[in-house]
Amino acid sequence: MIKNRWPSLVWIVIVLVSLVVGAVGCAGTTTQTPEAAQPAGPTSPAAPATTQAEAPAAEQPTAEAPTQEAQPADKSSITIVIPEDPPSFNAIVGDTGYDALVMNLVLLGLTGVDPDGNIYPELAAELPSIENGAVVVDESAGTMDVTWKMRQDIKWADGKPVTADDVVFTWEAIMNPDTGIWVRGSDYVDSIEKVDDYTVTFHYSSIYPGYLTQLGGEQLVVWPAHYCDPEQGFVAWDCASNPLSDGPFIMKEWNVGDHLSFERNPTYFEAGKPGIDEIFVRIVPEETVRKQMMIQGEADVYMWATETVINDLVTAPNVKISTTPYGRWVMRLFPNEASKGSTDPQASQHPFLSDVRVRQAIRMAVDVDTIVNQIFLGYGKPIWTEFYRKPYICEVPRPVYQPDEAKKMLEEAGWKDTNGDGYRECSGCTTAKEGTPMKLSFYTYAEYGEPLQLTQQYIADNLKKIGIEAQLNTFEGSVMWADPDSGGIEQNGDFELDLWDDGYSSTDPTDFLWEIYAAEAATPGNGWNIVRWKNDEFNTLLGEAYTLDEAKRKEIFCQMAKILDEQAPVILMFSTVNADAYSNRLEGIQSNINDLVTWNAADWKIIP
Amino acid sequence: MTEYASEQLLKDPVPKPQGTISYQGMVWQRFFKHRGAVVGAIVLTIVFLSVILAGLSPYDPNEPNMKEALQPPSLSHPMGTDALGRDYMTRVLYGGRVSLAVGVMVVMITLTLGVTIGAAAGYFGGWLDNVLMRFTDAVLTMPAFLILILLSTIMREIELPFFTQNNVVAIALVIGLLSWMTFARLTRAAILTLREMDYVKASISLGASHLRVIIRHVLPNMVGLLVVEATLELSYAIIEESALSFLGFGIQPPTPSWGNLLSNASQHFTKHPWLAIYPGVMIFLTIISVNYIGDGLRDAFDPHKVLQKVGEV
Amino acid sequence: MGHYIARRLIQAVFLLFLLSMVMFALVNLAPGGPLAGHGQTRRVRPERVEMLKRQFGLDKPLPTQYLIWLVGNDWMNVDTNGDGVFEEHGTRKGVLRGDFGFSFRTRKPVLFEIWLRLPNTIYLMGVMLIVSLLIAIPVGILSAVKQYSGFDIAVTTFFFAGQAIPEFWLGLILILVFYVWLENPITGGPLLPAGGMYSIGSAYPIADRVAHLILPVTAGALGWIAWYSRFLRSNMLDVIHLDYMRTARAKGLPQRLVIFKHGLRNALIPLVTMLALDLPYVVTGAVIVETIFSWPGMGRLYYQSAMDRDYPMLMAILILSGALMIFSNLIADLIYGYLDPRIRYD
Repeated sequence: MIKNRWPSLVWIVIVLVSLVVGAVGCAGTTTQTPEAAQPAGPTSPAAPATTQAEAPAAEQPTAEAPTQEAQPADKSSITIVIPEDPPSFNAIVGDTGYDALVMNLVLLGLTGVDPDGNIYPELAAELPSIENGAVVVDESAGTMDVTWKMRQDIKWADGKPVTADDVVFTWEAIMNPDTGIWVRGSDYVDSIEKVDDYTVTFHYSSIYPGYLTQLGGEQLVVWPAHYCDPEQGFVAWDCASNPLSDGPFIMKEWNVGDHLSFERNPTYFEAGKPGIDEIFVRIVPEETVRKQMMIQGEADVYMWATETVINDLVTAPNVKISTTPYGRWVMRLFPNEASKGSTDPQASQHPFLSDVRVRQAIRMAVDVDTIVNQIFLGYGKPIWTEFYRKPYICEVPRPVYQPDEAKKMLEEAGWKDTNGDGYRECSGCTTAKEGTPMKLSFYTYAEYGEPLQLTQQYIADNLKKIGIEAQLNTFEGSVMWADPDSGGIEQNGDFELDLWDDGYSSTDPTDFLWEIYAAEAATPGNGWNIVRWKNDEFNTLLGEAYTLDEAKRKEIFCQMAKILDEQAPVILMFSTVNADAYSNRLEGIQSNINDLVTWNAADWKIIP
Repeated sequence: MTEYASEQLLKDPVPKPQGTISYQGMVWQRFFKHRGAVVGAIVLTIVFLSVILAGLSPYDPNEPNMKEALQPPSLSHPMGTDALGRDYMTRVLYGGRVSLAVGVMVVMITLTLGVTIGAAAGYFGGWLDNVLMRFTDAVLTMPAFLILILLSTIMREIELPFFTQNNVVAIALVIGLLSWMTFARLTRAAILTLREMDYVKASISLGASHLRVIIRHVLPNMVGLLVVEATLELSYAIIEESALSFLGFGIQPPTPSWGNLLSNASQHFTKHPWLAIYPGVMIFLTIISVNYIGDGLRDAFDPHKVLQKVGEV
Repeated sequence: MGHYIARRLIQAVFLLFLLSMVMFALVNLAPGGPLAGHGQTRRVRPERVEMLKRQFGLDKPLPTQYLIWLVGNDWMNVDTNGDGVFEEHGTRKGVLRGDFGFSFRTRKPVLFEIWLRLPNTIYLMGVMLIVSLLIAIPVGILSAVKQYSGFDIAVTTFFFAGQAIPEFWLGLILILVFYVWLENPITGGPLLPAGGMYSIGSAYPIADRVAHLILPVTAGALGWIAWYSRFLRSNMLDVIHLDYMRTARAKGLPQRLVIFKHGLRNALIPLVTMLALDLPYVVTGAVIVETIFSWPGMGRLYYQSAMDRDYPMLMAILILSGALMIFSNLIADLIYGYLDPRIRYD
């Protein structure tokens, strides 16, 4: 009789499986709580993370007692929904936007930027300027010094004050060649000097207009010198996933992949703020689900609402939409002046996109209004020049949608439909061989979603109507914008006409303009002049724009605007909406094109 | 005048005995007994026909018509319109061309690859068998869907010279490269059994070449097994393509496929449900008919499940 | 038997090495890289690209990168600040010593990131598997025993339907019905939650967890139930018609005893084998279900890492799944041999 081996095996398996599933399920999920997330530990001996919540109470019992409400039965709490985890709280390293969102809740920079483009002081006591003597320019040497005086009433959540030491520590960590990161202006800062406990001076080796957001704005904050471990380095230190707070909220818990929770910082320097006790940030990848959560009232703030989402939420009675008059991202067409696969238009020019008349014709053929109103459902604004934002607004006449004029222009440029197939060929053109067909490959990126795909298809139809044949394709962002060695399409010139949105943060477009239009930026790996446009006059103007004289800068920018309008190296079409949706029980929410919606989280209140 | 017997024979060369039927005929008969398979075959034929005849539609699948965007189903647009005002039925049917083309191509690729490898391994045995089977095992241990995601991004970049829609072929190649292993194993197992059969041995002893033996004697007996497995492969391929496209890795717009139509529809789901319902229904109908057909074929070819047992080796 | 296991283990190790090389090539061959922008910027400043390349170790040729991945670089001198001088030893220990590197995205150790999500996936997939089996086994057996009855036909139709519905479609429809349309009669809110593992601060934690499990498990388990019940049915049918079953019945044994004692055991043998082969999925998770239902698990981690080209993360997950598949194959064979006395390995 053969031994029956079943029962023992079956029992073993059942027991094992139940143990595993039960242990995992019932014991709760692992969370990146303060204890767990510090394998190397901060340099301070007493793990401040665990005492973070208790410290304020323990160290300031007298201050707490009078204001201590007897553990309020209903704490006011709100929920923000986002599609993916922030990689950390260090926004300049992660660069995803979700990191800046949560960073705004717990950390402060020297300055911030409001929706109108005005820079306001956060840790700084006042903004340094030439007028108040804090900015000293040495004209002959071409150098300048910027001295920051800090507020003296801001403390970290463990009670220690925020001082100049923290500023110096942060900057040195950023500049560390081993473990730092490149930030704007780091090429121009020679050294940083602590003058006294609350005063710091940056020594610049050249005139740099963007000094006000050197350690502020959307992505940069000041990190605590006594808490972050310089050995771990700026890009990887643990204090970026378990931060010590000096902002309106303190991080309580981070359950990776699921949610982060924050509670009110009782020692926040602005009295009476924040007005909300708890904030939960929940990770929900599906857009449909996030939308529904807003409608059902399970979520209170929807970050970065897109056009279709706004359209659906606008009719919900409990949801309001906050937008800005214009957005930061402008949808553009990038025509490659070099032929496909080349990065040098001198060596190998594109058969027709290198001709400025063709580019102008394409600009006239795109029906921007229909795209904005029908595909983007009216949530967008036609933009046709780089200088559409305060404080540098230039008057440039808007290109009119006139496909017949476009056809005429193409005919004049020597592109005619000689074989009657509906598409043009070279017939007397100046940039290609006779008979070259007017055919191009037309790319865009996938992550934006359906409206961009539809726009691509619609523009292809526009082009078809003036006789240009387009072959469409979509790529992932990580392929489009990769560096030249990784096969990046833009950097390697492996495209003819591209469609994607681009824009600059904060108020100063100078660096952005250099990256996109400077002649030097056309070399692969050196910049992002992927259209390979080289214009001497523009280049000279660009060099002159690095000045502190605001009036002069405005004038220079508007001269640049004219050149860009004539030459159309990049065809700007419209800015996409910058909007966030929020529940109607909240007030104080204001979208900001220069920051994330949490930029003023300290001012938010729940309507009683 | 009496006819000679020989002349009579000339008039009616091979007198057919009554009441017998060929092997093929038996298979068909058994197939038609299977109700589900018959229904499945009808449905699948309808799907194929409508997809092939998609070109008859008066609407252009790519030309935008913004005035009629996002209309619910009506008489002029039986499946409504999409966000660019294009007739959805036309889009769905053109998408069907792509999805079914991917499916059929995958079956062809896996059949060719799998049968060749399996046949070589099973027939020749020895070190070749060992090497080929180790290779098959190795590919089997790769996590298919995860690798599919990676492979599809690589393959999309490759410019195949004479395929204009190299996108579609690339996806089919990728899916096919990771799913031929079942065919290989089945073929090998079947050959191992069949080559011991007397008629095969007789054939070899009579001097027939290996190739001839394989093609004339072994493969025809495996047809049933292969056909059944091919139907399974077809449904697998269609589902994989739609899953990949849903995640954004498969067929890229503007080329419609059922998968990426569904992916785009997921945004409009709550307000315009028809955008998501129709492609899903098409996938469902296709797969369920293919499965039923497969089941019917299995019963038809192998009612006593001789070779099916072999397949489990 | 010992010989057999030893041989298989050695083969497994070789296979893993081979796999790791193939996967390394694939991951690095995929066009695009982790140095592209997204989110806040589309483009990354070239200076930053240089720094990032060095920090990620991407400035070395591929074979060197593979070597470092495998055995680390703490035994050789590295140039950490790009000045051309190789002065320090590196910090990587290499996979062979358990160091899978740091995620490009979060800069945290890869194993740490996996550890944060692995239990969630095992939890979800484990429940899915158990639920599927609890339903599939009795259904499959019953429909085999009562072949051609109404029950059997209904079940068979259900098999085919269940395998024909795409998972993501089903997920969206479930959300539509149970989250958007239907209302909870007590609270007035949605009937079932559409995502996440649990609600924060819920009053009934266990009921809450169960509620969060319902929709994702239904979406994912349907296919499994359909497949397993069909599999079991066909195995059961084979066994029922075999000679020894007829003999047992002829001997006068009651029907139920015949089925459960003799038939079931032998029908379950292939099932156990299939289960062992499905084990890797319990760990690598279902990308689609996790994405639609916001489940913080391994599938989503892989998807996000693939989009971001987070090479170390991708390698770790791929190796993990590959290793799991190899070993589950081995375990399946061993169990099969253990349970079926007709099979002997030498």
